[in-house]
Amino acid sequence: MTGWLPGPITWQSFTLYFLVSVAFLLVILGYVTYAIYFERKVIGWMQGRHGPNRVGPLGLLQTVADVAKLLIKEDTIPKKAQRDLFILAPVISFVPSFVVLATIPFTETLYFADLNVGILYYVALSSISTIGIILGGWASNNKYALLGGMRSAAQMISYEIPLVISVVGVIMLSGSLQLSAIVEGQSGGFWNWNFLPQIIGFIVFIVAAVSELNRTPFDLPEAESELVAGYHVEYSGFRFAFFMLAEYVYVFAIASLTTVLFLGGWHPPFPFLDFIPGILWFLLKFSFVVFFLFWLRATFPRVRVDQLMGLGWKVLLPLSLVNIFITAIVYEIFFR
Amino acid sequence: MLSNLADFFSSGSNLVFFAFALFIIGGAIFMISFTKVVHMVISMAFTFLSLGGLYILLEAEFVAFVQVLIYAGAISILMIFGIMLTNHQEQEEDEVKRPLHNTLLGLGVLALFGILFYAIQTSEFPAQTAVLSENNTMEIGMRIFTAHVIPFELMSVLLTVAFIGAIVVAKREED
Repeated sequence: MTGWLPGPITWQSFTLYFLVSVAFLLVILGYVTYAIYFERKVIGWMQGRHGPNRVGPLGLLQTVADVAKLLIKEDTIPKKAQRDLFILAPVISFVPSFVVLATIPFTETLYFADLNVGILYYVALSSISTIGIILGGWASNNKYALLGGMRSAAQMISYEIPLVISVVGVIMLSGSLQLSAIVEGQSGGFWNWNFLPQIIGFIVFIVAAVSELNRTPFDLPEAESELVAGYHVEYSGFRFAFFMLAEYVYVFAIASLTTVLFLGGWHPPFPFLDFIPGILWFLLKFSFVVFFLFWLRATFPRVRVDQLMGLGWKVLLPLSLVNIFITAIVYEIFFR
Repeated sequence: MLSNLADFFSSGSNLVFFAFALFIIGGAIFMISFTKVVHMVISMAFTFLSLGGLYILLEAEFVAFVQVLIYAGAISILMIFGIMLTNHQEQEEDEVKRPLHNTLLGLGVLALFGILFYAIQTSEFPAQTAVLSENNTMEIGMRIFTAHVIPFELMSVLLTVAFIGAIVVAKREED
């Protein structure tokens, strides 16, 4: 996959690349199907329930049935909604979530586009999704939807800043914005992975990432008890499915990004374990991060909206700035 | 003149440029002609995103993604302000018809287009001499923090002053 993009586009390479992308999309859809299944199972077990276990063996087809239901459901558009924007909003929020995956290196050889501004690409495109969410809330012409969209925008904009600044420490240590170069800098055992020297940055990144994903304990945009369902309350059928899909694809993206930036990507925790292929290590770390997100959802209560803003601006932002200063000082004194 | 056009459309990157230019101009025109704030903001987002595309075409990835990052964030905030600070009651404004104005306007636009088109077609562009660095993001960082460090710091101070000034002004109105 390495040498194609710089070369001239011919119909052959275009077709090949298109097919690979479609295959990747199908992998992502498969991942989302079973991520939802495992989320329900894990939360069920943690709360002393069984989780889905009726459809198919062990309930494995539960999500498939749910998706089928969503797809054949009647597609309703409210009469007073802004019709064009109502249709456009799920598209605007889904497309960036899939496009950001293009730059993530899964192993040394398995990646789509190893951009030299990889992190910047991720952050820039993921911020476009916010527009889709506000648009969905506004176009529904419903006050609950609008409130949900507004909350979501405030939250995503506030937490994007600590998210980006917490990554700066990692960029300083590896001297590159390129994701594969960042992973290369973490080779040779888990003591070289960025989450140890960058522990403050790592914690800030995780908290900000959970908030960016609008997941519990920061799932205020869709707080069922206060806002009915938030920005997508008027959506049904496959448009609703697109919003949900975008959310789970972002879980995939953030888990991959955490693995790449802080957990050493495809590198094994001990050098003598490198006979195990890199993709397995990547999947292992990736699954752990995804499980961690489900774990948080099962155990944490939701924070209040003023606490949320206070945490973002008064705690995470100063912490991430301090992290940059400490990293710069330590790096200048000891590593140069 | 027409052979120039044929040359222009035979190259792939020129076609991409044409598509982006169309998006940029289209977004800008719709931005002016729409009447609802949210629609205007969305068409502006189109313009900004396509500008990012043009930067990529010029091999300036860093500028392109910074453009998307900053302006897409600004777009969401602009949209929020647009929703909060404008009223949503539909009001029909009856347009005044001014045929003379419109004719003169059309003539002026055509003349301007003619002049620009002629000037661009007749002028010679010297071939590019400077070689772009392979890792131009790194190069930008190096230049900013060595050769251009004083302007850079001055800009930061200016932005900070503006920021604090905004807070002070807002505080005073609150009292």
